[in-house]
Amino acid sequence: MSQSLRPYLQAVRSSLTAALALSNFASQTSERHNVPEIEAASSPELLLNPLTISRNDTERVLIEPSVNSVRISLKVKQADEIEHILVHKFTRFLTQRAESFFILRRKPIEGYDISFLVTNYHTEALLKHKLVDFILQFMEEVDKEISEMKLFLNARARFVAESFLTPFD
Amino acid sequence: MLLLDYQNVLIQSLLTERFSGAPPASIDQVVSDFDGVTFHLSTPESKTKILVSIHVKCFKELVQYGAQAVLEREYGPYIVSPEPGYDFSVQIDLENLPAEQEAREELIMKLALLKRNAMAAPFERAFDEFAELAEEASRYTSESAPQGVKEGGEVMSIHYREEEAIYIKASHDRVTVIFSTVFREETDRIFGKVFLQEFVDARRRVVTLQNAPQVLFRNTPPLELEGVPGVENASEGEMSYVTFVLFPRHLTPQRRYDSISHIQTFRDYFHYHIKASKAYIHTRMRKRTADFLQVLNRARPENEERERKTASGRTFRVQS
Amino acid sequence: MASQTPAVVMDNGTGYSKLGFAGNDSPSFVFPTAIATKAAGSAGSSAGSRPAVPNKPSFLPGGAGASSHLSGKRGTEDLDFFIGDEALAAGSGPGYGVNYPIRHGQIENWDYMERFWSNSIFKYLRVEPEDHYFLLTEPPLNPPENRENTAEIMFESFNCAGLYIAVQAVLALAASWTSSKVTDRSLTGTVIDSGDGVTHVIPVAEGYVIGSSIKSIPIAGRDITYFVQSLLRDRGEPDSSLKTAEKVKEEYCYVSPDIVKEFARYDREPDRLLKHTVTSPNGRSVQIDIGYERFLAPEIFFNPEIYSSDFLTPLPNVVDGVIQSSPIDVRRGLYKNIVLSGGSTLYKDFGRRLQRDIRHLVDARIRASEARSGGARSGGLDVAVVTHKRQRHGPWFGGSLLGQTPEFRSYCHTKAEYDEIGPSIVRRFALLGGPGSS
Repeated sequence: MSQSLRPYLQAVRSSLTAALALSNFASQTSERHNVPEIEAASSPELLLNPLTISRNDTERVLIEPSVNSVRISLKVKQADEIEHILVHKFTRFLTQRAESFFILRRKPIEGYDISFLVTNYHTEALLKHKLVDFILQFMEEVDKEISEMKLFLNARARFVAESFLTPFD
Repeated sequence: MLLLDYQNVLIQSLLTERFSGAPPASIDQVVSDFDGVTFHLSTPESKTKILVSIHVKCFKELVQYGAQAVLEREYGPYIVSPEPGYDFSVQIDLENLPAEQEAREELIMKLALLKRNAMAAPFERAFDEFAELAEEASRYTSESAPQGVKEGGEVMSIHYREEEAIYIKASHDRVTVIFSTVFREETDRIFGKVFLQEFVDARRRVVTLQNAPQVLFRNTPPLELEGVPGVENASEGEMSYVTFVLFPRHLTPQRRYDSISHIQTFRDYFHYHIKASKAYIHTRMRKRTADFLQVLNRARPENEERERKTASGRTFRVQS
Repeated sequence: MASQTPAVVMDNGTGYSKLGFAGNDSPSFVFPTAIATKAAGSAGSSAGSRPAVPNKPSFLPGGAGASSHLSGKRGTEDLDFFIGDEALAAGSGPGYGVNYPIRHGQIENWDYMERFWSNSIFKYLRVEPEDHYFLLTEPPLNPPENRENTAEIMFESFNCAGLYIAVQAVLALAASWTSSKVTDRSLTGTVIDSGDGVTHVIPVAEGYVIGSSIKSIPIAGRDITYFVQSLLRDRGEPDSSLKTAEKVKEEYCYVSPDIVKEFARYDREPDRLLKHTVTSPNGRSVQIDIGYERFLAPEIFFNPEIYSSDFLTPLPNVVDGVIQSSPIDVRRGLYKNIVLSGGSTLYKDFGRRLQRDIRHLVDARIRASEARSGGARSGGLDVAVVTHKRQRHGPWFGGSLLGQTPEFRSYCHTKAEYDEIGPSIVRRFALLGGPGSS
């Protein structure tokens, strides 16, 4: 793990643990409704201050807490065109399967690659520290996966090119 | 599968079956091949006479570059007048096959290579032209060569696909084959760029490939294509040009057959591998997604209510 | 025709895949839906079952040059595989393991299926998917997620120009339009689809499958083969291999109107007993006798008790039950158009026997209700079983038929539409060949 990654992840972990203090909260604007306030954003007093944790200008996390829900958005490192398209493909692949990833938001927040939405129902049914673990592991592995895919692509391209040219020998 | 076959598998397997003495049956199949080539296999007259017809998008251009002669050389006695809607037809009489097994197999292979042979004409012409020019050039020093020898032959263009074309040009020391390619998809474009860059670098990097053709890749029409009709207006940024420079060692009579077969498959090979890479990346993503799901599911508390069984096998739920 | 590329029709079944181009009367390729991959574990990587991560590319050609060990070490395991018959051949040797990506008609392993398609398209069909429209098939009751996954692969990996996914049973109905008996091209009918592993009875109304009424029967081609084999064994024939049994089944079997009478006929006319010569690969040939199995084998559809002790409902009763459980307003159409599909429905007189038996059941019911109603007369019910020449590859042929129609492309979802809306677009397709189209 590189030098700057550890404190970055630690900061995300602490902030997330703090933010995930959620309680059941009925909607104030419409009767008998109970909606994630961070998404509805109908009453400003229920929203807490959003928080951005940046590792550098390409990698950052946005945590938007509210009384009964937290939205976490990730921006994954994309150094070049290839990584950009791989990140795009991968996040799309994941959101396509959002049904089984119950905390995954189907659409990322503008400016980010992927978003999660954790509500009080999730924290009630699931172990909170494991949820935080999941998000941190996700952040780590996504980077790893993208760089591995890029390595694969380069290796494959090299292999393919050499194989095509070899018969000319 | 790494390299693509040169021949059409269907024609090959179909004819192998027919030639092996299976009871005659009527055939009527329209078969596609890469690059919009269509074959039609049929038995219009009798079950023992198989007609194989081919339609190539750019057949007119190919004829201009001597395709008819090449095909006549390859399929001489079998040629019949083209079936309506197709460009070229051959007919094989099952009752009149070569007697030896080897000769039969050779015939099957030849027919399966119909597309390759139809497309080979401009390459062959360029290779011949190169030989002439080389002969001529050897009589001059590089400075005193007349204009014609220096510049080489004219550029032959084959618009084998709707948007893409192959350009071939012979010079006295090389034959240049240029593929224009276009990508409709952002992902493909980027993957394609990575791949093409490796084609360019491969020769420099790997010792054993020093003798391979030189590959160049650029987004603007190469100098060779200056003044070729149809090139300028297509160069609106989307088109890329891949240039293969075939050196004399690839053009020797012994090598030319394989060189032609192989270079023809370039575009399809290239696209096949882009797609195969995407398939592999899908495989990885599936695995990774399953991993993530596993991690997420760890967040579920372990001791959820479980069904219990009594000794008699009846199930009940524990009241909480 | 020359201006448009023919649509690619792929019918991937549990046992066999049928591939070809629309407009042809038979698939270009029929081979097992099998894929042989390098047996796992030989790499022994710590990554577990995750696909091996390609090694860091070596910039050093390393003396001997890269070409000598190209495929081994560059993370190209995913290109090293075979499909179809080649897969079975490779699987019998060392180093490769055979996998079947489709189970019970549904795709189970998407990784293998994606590679299976890749090879189907590039090696066998030899088409650039960007230039072609694709017609794929799915079993009835296929979950929509599977459709989405299919679309994801077809559009994102292969960039195919357009895609249509049709239900096999509906295509089998369309295939029956070639029969001279069928006059109106309706998409209402009961499809009896009997392949190698299982037999389905599927009611279809106006092109839509009545999912709640589908019944499946655990008796199909493989069981008939086993049954023939056991009969051969009982008699102590010199060769009773599975292959021989299959051959006997395919070449000699037929359906008799009445087995008791048929037994008597065989005893009267000994020339009905045949001889079959088996030539083994080493050139030796053996002759075996073929007797009652000629009509007994397919009889297990009509009298399952002679073969199985678990499943005892004869096929005609199942069909009748399926139709009776369907909505009442379509039953007449379902009885009138019972369409056969799949290799195990090809026995001579299979359709005739089925039609007769179902008619008996229906007539008995009508008579009973006439008696109960005390004098009311029924108008009768028309039962017709349609046999046609394209039964063997029914779904594929139906696809070929519909895929060549000029309006086919307008029913497909195109790549552009997919990019716009996403995979959920394939949850709905307009009904191809339904009312309103030619």
